[in-house]
Amino acid sequence: MAGEARNLKVRIDHVSKVYETRNGPTEALRDVSLDICENEFICVVGPSGCGKSTLLNIIAGLQMPTSGKAYCNDHEITGTGTERGVVFQQYALFPWLTVKKNVMFALNMRGVKGAAAETEALEYLKKVDLEKFANHYPKELSGGMKQRVAIARAYAANPEVLLMDEPFGALDAQTRTQLQSELLETWEKDMKTCFFITHDVDEAILLAQKVIIMSARPGRIKEIVDIDIPYPRNQETKLLPRFMELRNHIWEQVYKEYLEVRK
Amino acid sequence: MEMTKQTAAAKRVRLPRPGRIVINAVLILCSLIWIYPIVWTIISSFKPQADFFKEQLTLFPATWTLDNYSRVWSKANFAVYFFNSVIVTVFSVLLVLIMTNMAGYVLGRYKFVGRSALMAIFLSSICIPLVSTLIPVYQIVKGMGLLGTRLGLILSGAGGAHVVFLLLFSSYYSTVPNELEEAAKIDGCGFLRTFVKVMMPLSSPISTTVIIMESLWTWNAFQLPLILTLNNPTARTLAVGLYAFKGENTVDWTGICAGGAIAMVPIIVVFIAFQKFFINGMAGAVKG
Repeated sequence: MAGEARNLKVRIDHVSKVYETRNGPTEALRDVSLDICENEFICVVGPSGCGKSTLLNIIAGLQMPTSGKAYCNDHEITGTGTERGVVFQQYALFPWLTVKKNVMFALNMRGVKGAAAETEALEYLKKVDLEKFANHYPKELSGGMKQRVAIARAYAANPEVLLMDEPFGALDAQTRTQLQSELLETWEKDMKTCFFITHDVDEAILLAQKVIIMSARPGRIKEIVDIDIPYPRNQETKLLPRFMELRNHIWEQVYKEYLEVRK
Repeated sequence: MEMTKQTAAAKRVRLPRPGRIVINAVLILCSLIWIYPIVWTIISSFKPQADFFKEQLTLFPATWTLDNYSRVWSKANFAVYFFNSVIVTVFSVLLVLIMTNMAGYVLGRYKFVGRSALMAIFLSSICIPLVSTLIPVYQIVKGMGLLGTRLGLILSGAGGAHVVFLLLFSSYYSTVPNELEEAAKIDGCGFLRTFVKVMMPLSSPISTTVIIMESLWTWNAFQLPLILTLNNPTARTLAVGLYAFKGENTVDWTGICAGGAIAMVPIIVVFIAFQKFFINGMAGAVKG
């Protein structure tokens, strides 16, 4: 992908975030700068508590930086916006709505109503292989299915940037592998800009064009690793020697930070 | 879900058979004693007026009649009282529901200056005996020119702080995961839309609890409706009307029984119909 002219989608400009807690201020992010280009798939790894989610929330507009600014399409981010969609780790489905209505909720907010919304919702559910479960309630689904609904919902909102906060973190290994493959397929088709948080190094390398390694608190960008493995990728990509190399390198860096946390 | 059901069943203590029979017998006896006056009232309402004292100790009358009901309904104004009770209850419940739901949402989910002070004031108002507010409330309603009106009854009934409902809502809302709210925001919902489209449907178990409790409370309210309708019998509710039904010289006992049944049965039906949700709501609020 190198050498292509690319549009800047999200720009994070010297962002810091300090939380006021009962035990004094906690520095979650310190001077983070990052450019995310259109169609780019970026994964963020780092030890827990390194401010990965804070960074995602700032891009989503759910939290404001203490200093510095974040931009999307050259506009400063001051709140949530429909050009940025989020998939949460805990699915965040509305329990009183059926699967179809959950997806339709996002469509309604976009201005698609009635029968049109229903047809479109079913299309998105088809993409994640859940059209048969359209009339089920979230509680009747497994974790993997719930996360699929959440992804369908995020897609239905038709954002330009998809922000995913450890979306597969709560799933078992098989389901996780399956959803990774599905996500890869989808991304290779529509090339939506993705910002994906994970604590799983393999997952990061498999999916991303760039892996961002964050340091222990206060969160800083420690290293940006270009993943020079060509797409299309699949689970077998994990067996490539280059994958192993990258994995060893990233894992080592993350582990160092992990030790830092334990101190 | 099934797992929890099974463990709950396994945990339930199984008494040996004779022990269970004794306990059940005691419990059934207690229930009978407790329910007997109600059953007696309802059955007596079908006794002919003249036979009341003749048969007062027998549970089942020799002849059944609906005279008491027709007499009470048309001559003693119970049709009007019934209508008043329904109107006052429905609107009080609506007002209380909207009020406590909205206040509970903000108290449960938002941090703002003076929040704990506000909470403390609400909580301490539990300690104020209701009787001590009778005169101020009367004065206010009088000042508004609403004495002896249904609107006056509705406002005075709904106007309290309803601290228990407030706490139910706020403790429930404080346990709702942030993601749901954030997901709504991401989809483009503002504050009001998040509340109406996400939070209100989520809190429906609590709402059901509040509807039942407030219905019971308003339907059976006596003291305040009595003093507010002293000068206008046509605005009275069933509970007040029933009391006023007792004449000075003669007492129409079977009529009172019929009036009592009219006052009692609807609210019992409401309670039984909503009982399942009610218990769900209470359990949900405590467990979180």
